[in-house]
Amino acid sequence: MIASAWRRFLGSYLFFSFRRDRIAILSFVVLCTFFLASFSASLLAPFDPYDPIQIDIMDSEIPPVWMEEGDQRFLLGTDVQGRDLLSTILYGSRISITIGIFAVLLQAFLGISIGLVSGYFGGRLDNFLMRLADIQLSFSTLMVAIIFLAVFQALFGTELYEKLAIVMLILVIGIAEWPHYARTVRANVLAEKKKEYVDAVRVIGLGSLRIMFKHILPNTLSPILVISTVQIANAIVSEAALSFLGLGMPVTKPSLGSLINSGFEFIFSGSWWITIIPGVVLVVLVLVMNLLGDFLRDVMNPKLYKD
Amino acid sequence: MALLEVRNLDVTFASWGGNLVALRDVSFSLEPGERLGIVGESGAGKSVAAFAILNLISRPGYISGGEILFEGQDLTQLSPQEMRSIRGNRISMIFQDPMMTLNPVLTVGVQMTEVLHAHREISAEEARSRALQTLTRVHISSPENRFDQYPHELSGGMRQRVVIATALLTESSLIIADEPTTALDVTIQAEIMDLLLELCELNNVGLILITHDLGVISQVTQRAIVMYAGRVVEAGPIWEIVNNAQHPYTHGLLGALPQQTTPGKRLNQIRGVMPSLSNIPEGCAFNPRCQLVMEVCRTSVPTYTNIGSTRVACHAAGSAQTGNPLSLEHNKT
Repeated sequence: MIASAWRRFLGSYLFFSFRRDRIAILSFVVLCTFFLASFSASLLAPFDPYDPIQIDIMDSEIPPVWMEEGDQRFLLGTDVQGRDLLSTILYGSRISITIGIFAVLLQAFLGISIGLVSGYFGGRLDNFLMRLADIQLSFSTLMVAIIFLAVFQALFGTELYEKLAIVMLILVIGIAEWPHYARTVRANVLAEKKKEYVDAVRVIGLGSLRIMFKHILPNTLSPILVISTVQIANAIVSEAALSFLGLGMPVTKPSLGSLINSGFEFIFSGSWWITIIPGVVLVVLVLVMNLLGDFLRDVMNPKLYKD
Repeated sequence: MALLEVRNLDVTFASWGGNLVALRDVSFSLEPGERLGIVGESGAGKSVAAFAILNLISRPGYISGGEILFEGQDLTQLSPQEMRSIRGNRISMIFQDPMMTLNPVLTVGVQMTEVLHAHREISAEEARSRALQTLTRVHISSPENRFDQYPHELSGGMRQRVVIATALLTESSLIIADEPTTALDVTIQAEIMDLLLELCELNNVGLILITHDLGVISQVTQRAIVMYAGRVVEAGPIWEIVNNAQHPYTHGLLGALPQQTTPGKRLNQIRGVMPSLSNIPEGCAFNPRCQLVMEVCRTSVPTYTNIGSTRVACHAAGSAQTGNPLSLEHNKT
């Protein structure tokens, strides 16, 4: 079963165009490297940035190895607290990617359910849900997140917040961005439900839920896949922006954003690497995701078939 | 007891310009194992009638009057749940284009077994073996391979066989086939029709065959009703309708068959088009296109008269145009 599915994938148009697209291959390789490296951070990283015993304040602000004052132990130098930058980046991108993926899963869950219901049943319910989406979209994600996170910190204190930071970020980013999914799914459902196969399954006597999830949803998967890649990148950027503003991950458990933030104060005193290196990592990560998203969009849209 | 009895069925579509009546006073009945044809041009209300039987008219349309008795039960009075247990289980439907009616992203097997899972408690293996058995009955070779294939991997005729097999899975007592061969290759059409006929006879399944082709109907069904602009204009045994048509519209349909034309000549046609629902003429709806139009046709709607075993709604019924349908068509040119 798995073998035949794999063979089918190897013979598919998707794989065919992937093999001929150098940018897509490169992006995919880079992305895989990121994923592997960050999720095996505890094995790969020379230090554990969460372990205070391994951190020596005397090691702070050591530049990367290739510079004059570089230290053999710290490949990419250290930050203000004396943490190895490479290890911190590995651990930090793990947090960033986790938040990105789970926030998008939440968005997708909310957006797909609402979009399906809205498109399939139509009428007043559709109107109501889509106006709700419009309202949600008229607030920018960052604004909602800043208000929500700031209020939470003020109410429950920073200590509890630091414990729950990852969950809170996932919730906030996930809830703020569902309308993108809902709109895309709804538009596709509207097109799909007019097709005869939907009549055919209604004639069979299936219930609405089964028709929506088993028959219509699989037919709207390709646009969902395309926006998912872009949305993960967006979620990572949102998280970084929030962390940069001091509302995201705490400094003790830095994500890429809070790492950039922590070095920002020292950028003019010459310690540029604390900000620039995680910054470059973030840009590359988001860039390859967007490139892959573009590739998927081109391949999965039959109207754009190129020779 | 009749298998299906439709009495004075009205279907209305609500619209901004007022209500549009898609079916008006439609009545017909079907005995168990009997085959009935519904004939008419596009827009005559054939498919609306089929969907009305299954209670699947989608908004803004609704059944505004009449009864649909299926095995003695009035389908218009059932709750959505009760209706769902009848759809696909007791009444199945086959559509025109098998490429459109099969879901492109699910395998044949998944789509077939779904009917069984929806209507009875059945294990996956048992559903699979029943589906394979039925695939064999519709003469599909190597059903095991077909079972795991996607619709696009099958040919048109094969797909329609799958659809027919799905309709037979639950042992329905009524199958509604809405132009089941129109989208198929001419060479396949006869095969599929024969198959449908054979299976219906074998299992004593009632069949409602919707088509615009009187030729097909005359080979498969025992009785037929002819519809025009939402009304039944003629109903009777197929033999009478083909050989002794009473309504000028039935004459027109018969004359339009390619077989009725001398090779090399233009095909006969009924002048004009079917009126739209919002613009149905006063009196008999067919009067602007009718060869035999009289003064009374423009003012009053004809009532049904029985002529022999047929029932016809025409003011001129029984007078001038009986006999060989060809005679009328030849006079035209």
